[in-house]
Amino acid sequence: MELMFWWLIAPALVIAALAGWRAFRPDRHANARRRPVANADRLTALPEYQAALRRHRRWLAVSALAAVTLLVSAVAAAARPVELTTIAPEQHNRDIMLCLDTSGSMSSADSAVVQVFAQLAKEFDGERIGLTVFDSSAVQVFPLTDDYAYVQEQLTLAKDAFEGNSGSAGFLDGTWNGRGSSLIGDGLASCVNGFPDTAATDARSAEAGTSHTGNADTGQRRSRSIVMATDNYLSGDPIFTLEQAAALAKGREVTVYALNPGDFDYGPGAGQPGARLRTAAEASGGKYYRLDSPEAVADIVRSVQESEATAMKGAPQAVVSDRPELPLTLAVLSGLVLAGASWRLRP
Amino acid sequence: MTSLLQRVKSKMAIFAHRKARGMLDGEYGSVFRGRSLDFDDLRAYIPGDDVRDIDWKASARFGSPLTKRYVAVRRQTVLLIADTGRGMAAESRDGETKNDIAVMAFGVVGYLAHRHGDVVGLVCGDRNGTRSIPAKAGEPHLERLLREVDASTSLDSGPSRIEDQLEYVARNVKGRFLLFVVSDEHAAGPGTEQLLRRLRAQHEVLWLTIRDAVLAGEGLTGQDAFSVPDSSMLPAHLAASPAIAAAYVKAAGERDAARHAMLRRAGITQGHVAGSSAVMTELFALLERHRRAG
Repeated sequence: MELMFWWLIAPALVIAALAGWRAFRPDRHANARRRPVANADRLTALPEYQAALRRHRRWLAVSALAAVTLLVSAVAAAARPVELTTIAPEQHNRDIMLCLDTSGSMSSADSAVVQVFAQLAKEFDGERIGLTVFDSSAVQVFPLTDDYAYVQEQLTLAKDAFEGNSGSAGFLDGTWNGRGSSLIGDGLASCVNGFPDTAATDARSAEAGTSHTGNADTGQRRSRSIVMATDNYLSGDPIFTLEQAAALAKGREVTVYALNPGDFDYGPGAGQPGARLRTAAEASGGKYYRLDSPEAVADIVRSVQESEATAMKGAPQAVVSDRPELPLTLAVLSGLVLAGASWRLRP
Repeated sequence: MTSLLQRVKSKMAIFAHRKARGMLDGEYGSVFRGRSLDFDDLRAYIPGDDVRDIDWKASARFGSPLTKRYVAVRRQTVLLIADTGRGMAAESRDGETKNDIAVMAFGVVGYLAHRHGDVVGLVCGDRNGTRSIPAKAGEPHLERLLREVDASTSLDSGPSRIEDQLEYVARNVKGRFLLFVVSDEHAAGPGTEQLLRRLRAQHEVLWLTIRDAVLAGEGLTGQDAFSVPDSSMLPAHLAASPAIAAAYVKAAGERDAARHAMLRRAGITQGHVAGSSAVMTELFALLERHRRAG
């Protein structure tokens, strides 16, 4: 607890001292308005009068005390008592794109990922989440959104689809339009494109004279991350290779977290699918997780969430919060007491 | 400054206009004129003369009442005893300064004495000291006495203590004088009573009490008061409470009764006055009472 305008106390003390001096200096003319009477012991010797005088003096003391308390607490309130705290505000301006390879081998991992995010979405506040599924072609199931009810609904549908439940046959429609299967580079590039324009493109369009006032992201930097589940077994001829897509992600400041449920690399060779995925993920500043069982997905996603959250912690800020409650309450109470005492003391 | 004595005389004139002129003179004369056995002459009766002095046979012959006059044995000495402490600068019951009432009373008595050829002296003072002015005849002397009383009484004077002046008289005054004491409602005490008995044994004593201001109950103004001896404040709203007013009335009654009883036991004729307008009437009644008692 500190006082913001502590210097206010000095003039308050000076004024209080002046007022006290004025009030208590002996006034030789005080009796000019009163009538002189002799033999006052006719009255002052009466026990009734002495009791009344004691009562009167007691009320005077009470009102003096209340007045002093009122003044002190008013000065204290005027001096602005504040509480200084340092907080690291957690920011909720993250964008997360789920990028799921829907080739047959991935379904259990995908269902685990969407299940975890369906859980997480309940606690989200300001984060945006999107879902893109890809096999030979990418389909954006839903774009980045903070409509968490919709997100949960879609994620539940996706989970049903990945688990092969009945009634969800149409969910993955449109992912087999390309040539081949598991065109991972294309899928990643699609996910990266699922983010709104970056600041760099903003700058370019600003130079070109087009305004983007409608863009909600203007002026606010949001972190971008892709949670990508794939085994990186490519079959086909993608437009983007994984490395090109990773470079695209890096250029757009998108962090890629890769989950690989089928890391069956033979040796430490750099050309192995797992190693390539690791390189691509780490190139964007993200991480690579080998997924041994679908149950581990929850932990991994949470650790990704936490590392993201930590990274997004704002700089520590000093927060000044006014705490006038105590002096003001005291002032109000002593004011009430003073009012009561003056009512009691009225002539 | 108008003459204090002039003021007293004009008041007396007004009084005399209302009552019969000379009535007061008659009262004074029958009280204080020294009575001797030497017959002087007869004169027409004037109201106020002692009935015992009427020469009934002469009156019967003459057809109207005649009073016997005697040759005075000696000239009386009237000693005015004044309290010039700051208590007398306080308010009286009627709101006047008590000192003004005292000067009026001293003036009336002194002037009556002067008209009868008596000499008038003064003993005055406060707790800090008592002084006296020897008895002399003449209006200028009387004026000087009144001025002395008037000028030395103020709120800056010492505290009042009439006992000091009475003790001074008891110690220093020889011979039989007429003492005229003007005091206020001071409390009766055994010491005072002793002193009064002692004075009464030597002198004739008239006592005029000036009523002090009412401090509580009926007749109280809303104005705050301060106690003269120590300048302490008496808040009016405290004294206005009915319980205090009732207690005050009771205590004041007891105090007055005690003072009256003390003076009566000491054989001193007393009167009390609340304002200067009542001084003449009250002095007349006082002299009348004294004559009857004497």
